[in-house]
Amino acid sequence: MSAVIEIEGLRKTFHSVRKGRRVAVDGFDLVVEAGQIHGFLGPNGSGKTTTLRALLGLVRADGGRMTVLGEPSPELLPRVAGQVGAIVESPQFFGNFSGHRTLRLLARAGGVPVSRVDEALELVGLRDRGDERVKAYSLGMKQRLAVASALLKDPRLLILDEPANGLDPAGIREMRDLMRSLAASGVTVLVSSHILGEIQLICDHVTIISRGRRVAAGRVDEVLAGYDRHEFRVRVAEPERAVELLQAAELTAMVDSGALVVGGVTDSTVISQVLGEQGLWVGELTPLRPDLESVFLELTGAGEHPSVPRQVDQAGPPSGAEGEPIDLDVRGVDA
Amino acid sequence: MNLVRAEVERLSARRFVQLMVVLLVLAFGVTAATTLAGSHKPSAEELSVARAKANEARQGMEVAFQECLARQNETPPRGDTEGYYPRDCSEIDPIRGDRLPIAADFLVGVFSFAEQARPLLYFLIAFLVLFGFLIGASYIGADLNSGGVVNLLLWRPRRLTVLGTKLATLLGAVLVVSLLASVFYLATFWVIGQTAGLAGRFSDDFWSSLAAVHGRGLVLVLLATALGFAIATLGRHTSAALGAVAAYVVVWELGGRLVLEIVDARRPDQLMLSSHIGAWLTGEARFWDPQLCANSRPGVYCEGFYSLTWVPALLVLLMITGGLAAAAFAVFRRRDLI
Repeated sequence: MSAVIEIEGLRKTFHSVRKGRRVAVDGFDLVVEAGQIHGFLGPNGSGKTTTLRALLGLVRADGGRMTVLGEPSPELLPRVAGQVGAIVESPQFFGNFSGHRTLRLLARAGGVPVSRVDEALELVGLRDRGDERVKAYSLGMKQRLAVASALLKDPRLLILDEPANGLDPAGIREMRDLMRSLAASGVTVLVSSHILGEIQLICDHVTIISRGRRVAAGRVDEVLAGYDRHEFRVRVAEPERAVELLQAAELTAMVDSGALVVGGVTDSTVISQVLGEQGLWVGELTPLRPDLESVFLELTGAGEHPSVPRQVDQAGPPSGAEGEPIDLDVRGVDA
Repeated sequence: MNLVRAEVERLSARRFVQLMVVLLVLAFGVTAATTLAGSHKPSAEELSVARAKANEARQGMEVAFQECLARQNETPPRGDTEGYYPRDCSEIDPIRGDRLPIAADFLVGVFSFAEQARPLLYFLIAFLVLFGFLIGASYIGADLNSGGVVNLLLWRPRRLTVLGTKLATLLGAVLVVSLLASVFYLATFWVIGQTAGLAGRFSDDFWSSLAAVHGRGLVLVLLATALGFAIATLGRHTSAALGAVAAYVVVWELGGRLVLEIVDARRPDQLMLSSHIGAWLTGEARFWDPQLCANSRPGVYCEGFYSLTWVPALLVLLMITGGLAAAAFAVFRRRDLI
């Protein structure tokens, strides 16, 4: 597979007279291969949007190397801009323009046939509302319009920053289906989102950023597998006795909310066997798989102290590191 | 070309632009209506009386000049009065004067196009300068503030091209509006002069002189437009341009002028932008410099005025506008759009 987006060692520091110096991106790496639906995750202020803006030439990088569709960005970005559809954060449109007119102007500015406008509106479900003024649109409809503007070019690469913002559950599902169908037709999608469940559902690859650095990257299932502690939740009639039996069999076991959490074993039949041999019959045996949210919170340190309000730009360090983010590149075999 | 077309459509669809055009038409309408209401076609008798009065005034001027010459030659005519006469009689020579009294000066309530065209044109230019400045500032200011420029750059990631197209489109649109407005405006008052007043007496250079003022005015309108655009680009907001102009007027034109007068600085007017605007628009502006007469002999008339001509005035205006526009492009080229 060829890389559609390559970012290597991206650095960006913002300087402000009032706020001083703030490192937004600190040696960040990202690789998105052709055909992927690539999730881009990170807490607020972690550098996601700055990275996307730098990639699209809206922010000047202080260092690093970036390519988009094989062309160095931002120097030669104009060469491939016609093949890149992007929305960065929630784009603002003129409230007095209709959705149709908004897209028509963009199409005209970008040299895209105006006939694409209706197709794009149809794709995002705004076909019948295209003639209404944008200021009458709901947040979700504006978001759909933004996605439509990115789709106007019939892009090879789609970069979507928080596309699900403001969408209702049905809209989120439609957006998911849209991304899948685009990916199926050969479009590479890079999507940043805070809705981790969505990312897990639609993305095949993921990159997680924290405090301006990559802390994990690879296939979603492999990233999750890297954090699988091989634990199972077990329900039995006598939990205390079961703990003793399991510990005697050199497994880890503890009671948690009336159920057992058993670790140190990859084959769940061992648990059934140990307990069954002593006359304890298992009522529930569920593998405790990590989800993207738990991995995200662990990697970014965002969930370490749930009782303390976390401040933007003060994300805790990833676990296992004393203040310094670690790069857990688990891209595996096809990386 | 596509970008220009898109920008023209964006510009014409902006509410603020539409509002300013409505205000422009409204201002025209009010001015034309009040002129029409306050003017009437003079009767033959009114004209005859006015002509007689004008003739009398011209003769009076000639008499005064002759009396001055006679006093200068120490041959006062009979019946000479103790009137005031300048030391240099050429100052009241009617032939050397700017203009001689004409019948229109003695017609009350009669609009004369030939007499009023120039002041009307100055009013139009003043309005168009305001129009251009505000539209120039709001066009880019609102776009930068709302993310419209970012949207556009995602499509055309060439910053200087995008900003340059915006400025060129803006200047072109303002020029077209100004030309149309001028033609419509002058034609309206010409018709009023013909139907409800006087066309007036046109000197040989009337139209060329009016065209020169109009041309200078249009240049000023374009400079004001570019200035509003440049300051708003630098400040990322429409209000930056408005604030900069307000600050300049208060701090420099009012405060600075006061301080310069207190410290007795020489020729403070030539340090003021307003002086250069006036000099450019009228061709020449004259200002008082008391030090010019400091060494003049007692009893010898000293005029004490110095002139700002249109050439250095234009250079100053071009340098300021060009400098700010260049700075705006340089800053925009490197700016982080967040």
